[in-house]
Amino acid sequence: MKKIFPFLFFILCFAAAHGQSSGRFTLTGTMADTLGNGMPEATVMLLLPTDSSLVNFGRTNKDGAFEFKGLKRIPYLLKVTYVGYLPFQLHIEPGDKESVELGTQKMTFLNQDLYEVVIKTARAPLSIRGDTIEYDPRAFKVPPGSSVEELLRRLPGMQVEQDGSITAQGEAVKRVTVDGKRFFGDDTKAATKNLPAEAIDKVQVFNDKTEQSRITGVDDGKHEKTLNLQLKDSHKKGGFGKATAAVGTDKRIAGKINYNRFNDKNQFSIIGLGNNTNSGGMSWDDYQDFKGSQSFNWGDDGDFGFGGGRYISFGGDDESLTIQAGSGGQNRGFNKNIAGGANYNYDTKKTKFNTSYYYNQNRQDLDATSKQQSFLSNLTFSKLDTNSRFNFNQNHRGGFRFEKTIDSLNTLIILSNMRIGSGNNDYSSHQEFYRGSGQEDNLSTVSDLKNANDFTSFAIGNTAIYRHKFMKKGRSFAASFGYNINNSDGFASQHSLNRFVKSAQEDSIVAIKQTNDTKSLRNQLKSSLLFIEPLTKKLVLETFYNFSLKSDEVDRDVFDIGESAIRNNNLSRYYSNKTDFNRGGTSLRYSHNGLNIAGGLAVQQIHMNGKFAIDQGEDFTSTLNRKFVNWTPNFSLNYDLKKNRYLWAGYNVGVDEPSIGSLQPIVDNSNPLYIRVGNPNLVPTIRHSGNLGFNYFNPSSFTRMYVGLNYNYYENQVIFNQTVDENLVTTTKAGNISGGKSYGLYGNYGFPIVKTKSNLSFNLNYNRNSNLTYINGVINNTTSNGYNFGIRSDYTPSDKFTLYANANWNITDTKYSISTSQNQKIVNGTYSAEMNIKMPSDIYFNSGFDYKTYVNNRFGFNQNMPILNLSVYKTMLKSKKGEIRLSMYDVFNQNRGISQYASSNFVTQEKVRTLARYFMLSLTYNMRGVSHSVRKKGY
Amino acid sequence: MKKIILGVLLLGTVTGYSQSMEGMITYEKVSHWSKILDKLTFLSEEERSRSKTSWGSMDDDGDKSRGNLFITSSKSKYLDVEMENEGGYSGRNREYVIMHDYDTEKILEIEEFSGKTYIIEDRLVTPKWKVHNKIKEVNGYMCMMATSEDTLKGQKIEAWFANDIASSAGPERYFGLPGLIMEINVNEGEVIITAVKVEKKSVSEDILPPKKLKGKKINQQQYNKMIADFVRDSMAAHRNPFWVIRY
Repeated sequence: MKKIFPFLFFILCFAAAHGQSSGRFTLTGTMADTLGNGMPEATVMLLLPTDSSLVNFGRTNKDGAFEFKGLKRIPYLLKVTYVGYLPFQLHIEPGDKESVELGTQKMTFLNQDLYEVVIKTARAPLSIRGDTIEYDPRAFKVPPGSSVEELLRRLPGMQVEQDGSITAQGEAVKRVTVDGKRFFGDDTKAATKNLPAEAIDKVQVFNDKTEQSRITGVDDGKHEKTLNLQLKDSHKKGGFGKATAAVGTDKRIAGKINYNRFNDKNQFSIIGLGNNTNSGGMSWDDYQDFKGSQSFNWGDDGDFGFGGGRYISFGGDDESLTIQAGSGGQNRGFNKNIAGGANYNYDTKKTKFNTSYYYNQNRQDLDATSKQQSFLSNLTFSKLDTNSRFNFNQNHRGGFRFEKTIDSLNTLIILSNMRIGSGNNDYSSHQEFYRGSGQEDNLSTVSDLKNANDFTSFAIGNTAIYRHKFMKKGRSFAASFGYNINNSDGFASQHSLNRFVKSAQEDSIVAIKQTNDTKSLRNQLKSSLLFIEPLTKKLVLETFYNFSLKSDEVDRDVFDIGESAIRNNNLSRYYSNKTDFNRGGTSLRYSHNGLNIAGGLAVQQIHMNGKFAIDQGEDFTSTLNRKFVNWTPNFSLNYDLKKNRYLWAGYNVGVDEPSIGSLQPIVDNSNPLYIRVGNPNLVPTIRHSGNLGFNYFNPSSFTRMYVGLNYNYYENQVIFNQTVDENLVTTTKAGNISGGKSYGLYGNYGFPIVKTKSNLSFNLNYNRNSNLTYINGVINNTTSNGYNFGIRSDYTPSDKFTLYANANWNITDTKYSISTSQNQKIVNGTYSAEMNIKMPSDIYFNSGFDYKTYVNNRFGFNQNMPILNLSVYKTMLKSKKGEIRLSMYDVFNQNRGISQYASSNFVTQEKVRTLARYFMLSLTYNMRGVSHSVRKKGY
Repeated sequence: MKKIILGVLLLGTVTGYSQSMEGMITYEKVSHWSKILDKLTFLSEEERSRSKTSWGSMDDDGDKSRGNLFITSSKSKYLDVEMENEGGYSGRNREYVIMHDYDTEKILEIEEFSGKTYIIEDRLVTPKWKVHNKIKEVNGYMCMMATSEDTLKGQKIEAWFANDIASSAGPERYFGLPGLIMEINVNEGEVIITAVKVEKKSVSEDILPPKKLKGKKINQQQYNKMIADFVRDSMAAHRNPFWVIRY
């Protein structure tokens, strides 16, 4: 209190200068209970009457007395509180007295009932405003659908008689008001019997003037008990939706509508969309609006243990059982998309239920020309391919998910998702093969293909997950069970005419006319267990066990179509395979203060038991019975270093089972010049992966940096060995080989040039892959060195103008050990810029320019594609709920779907006829308002 | 407390502190990120309502952490408690120590912000509290409501203080009421800090300042400016500032 003394001195001087009357005053008093005994240790507060600001406080002494000295000469509100007593309040008007003596003030004992309310219901604030007592109904649980009367019965100090009349604090309630207004006259029961308890925000009881004094305006001093019911401002409910319709030149149309209705427990939504503008299906935003609170659920697969080497039987986009979002636009060919669905969520703390249905279809027309050069040890040949494809694909997806929190220790999740799909594709192609790099005189083979395929598929995945927490903190157990079915039936017809050009003799012609009916059925039963035991506060032991039993059955019937259909026993197969998988493992994790280290080891066994026959019902001609046992270590490190730096590292061994496609002992001759043969003797690939990374981000200077390194080494990698015969017919057969590896190094550095206004960042990538393949019995090692360098800048000076620019160069240097003269360099470049301008009267302008270059000097390939998109739009209607937009896509009409890449022992350049220039006019109505920012999202 | 001294001078601010209890109070802090996200001015109404419908119900239980407050008759010290990880990932504890000396009217804060540790030493300035006629029980103690405003972070603070624990201390940076602050409610439920355990015991060891003070020394005004600039810049750069500062 040393600091007080100079103050005191100052104030004394000040007071002296201003004379006695304007000086300070002293306030004294004594607080007593109803019997007049002094109340020690009561809290005494002085507040400003205008806004209840706390000016000073203290406690009464052992006799209940208090004293405030040197108070400013202004009115105060004295407030005294004491546990078990109603807060005491008194207005203090100092007048010109030097000291105000309040004498003994009595505090009123807080009604025992009310006291109980406050004491017993922890979350129930009971407020007392003058003589008004306010209850918060949330603290008094009533069954759903109860009336207000039911609620009042539970309020302490309140009684409801048989006939519905109400007594509060021993007095009859004369009037019931709703939001301060009378509800159906003076009948107190009208409101209490008819209003639902859920609609009530507050219940207030107070003494109001009598009706007579209200009318006369003369307060006769008589009061009557009044009950006021305050309704909730907003029941947590509402709806939102959005609709967009667009028409364009070149018969382009697009439309999308979604609507979502919700209250505190239920969410219901629908979506419908269609377009022929290559813009794909649902975006992530649409998906989130559609699925609502059930958009993201982690750990629903029920597979516990290390991520690597996991047994996965479902995946891929079209194959997925769950609704897919964010597939984005397709920039190849011409696509028509139609999709729609409905979703319902029920959400409470204890029970969550979701069910949804979604349909989508995609119709794709694709015309492409490509040139591919292949390298053999002694020969180079090239293929010119002109093809046209039509693909139609549709899926119905439905599912439900149920999550029940049984109690604080037990949770159950049950989910089921299914997909019913069908589709057809047509493929026709004219292919010319040349020996050498493509001169006419070296023509080797001419082939015309016409394939068609119809398929249907059905898949369902069912999972149940049970999680239990033990009383001991950190100890937990989880078990999961799953049953999955994947069934497909495809009918294909394959026609081809192949002419092999011979210089010395007559050309030979091979014609193939076949049908192929393939039925496949996969059943999988699986289960996982997980037990987590905390050893110390920082050490946790995690033990898991996975089991799966999978059965595959494939029946493939191939017929040669001549004058009659004859079964082709070389290509037809009946095949059945049972695979069981067991894995057990454990890991130890240390986590403390930002350092997380985990290390573990698992052992797994895959047992495959396969049988093959020429046809269903025939004797099995060969069997396969193989067991693979592997140890899979796993290590990870995550370290949150000080000063915004993070370090991570990991090493794991994964065991990847060969795909069913490459295991099937069948010959796929759908392209007679490129024949694929399965290999039932494949063994699982063992992948050693390591990674190391460092990240720095300073949130106040906005400087960021990251660098990373990764490494993969493959043992028994599944590769596709090639045999090319003298007619340039390639036959690939899957095999295993060890020695393939890849490295990657990446880095990024970004910083603001002017904080919040403009940023610059650089990124650098290097990767090196070496892949081994046998080509005509000679091992070929394809080594590719990829260099990627990018620079990105953004300029965001105001909310009216933004500019984003970036450039990216990608160089791939590929070396072939069997034919070093074919070593080559591919250079792909991208330069893009985006500009956004906000103009007066809510008009926005957006332009995006994308310039892509494709260069391969060895083949004289040099292409570029400048694509400019422009759009101008304006928000309109009340609260900016509408938008009108005019867009121009590919203003220069340059989109040619170019791609080039080098791999294995070939290099390919392709051009696809793709949607190019069109104009579009669109209208949007969004109930949540169309908001536009010139800022790019996520920048 | 035999002689109650109440005659303390005042100039609109509270200068009288009555202290009697010595002990340790454990607070639980529950942060509701879905509500905090709603405050980001750069998100459109559509983005905000989308995040609410997709994350809102998952955030029912909020994000929990704990802190300990040590009080004596004239001093208080608040610091975070390291969370016991239930088999999960452990984040690094950000340094956070708040020490008040009510006799000498001094604060000493050690706070990590944006990767740097700051030591804030300054005079203790009591926030302006308004006391309301609302009472409720928090962990067995009858509490009264007081409100205040944090203009720095744009928060409405609702505090519930216990009449029968004579201490002006409270969790984190909150203090200055006639009784111990048992609960803090920021912006109507975005963050709620509640006393879950009140132990009366000797804390003479615990209340000592950390032995080593490493960090950049600044005063309250410099700290306030740093935070205000950071919130402004982050909003301008469309980043959520509340991931970085203590909300």
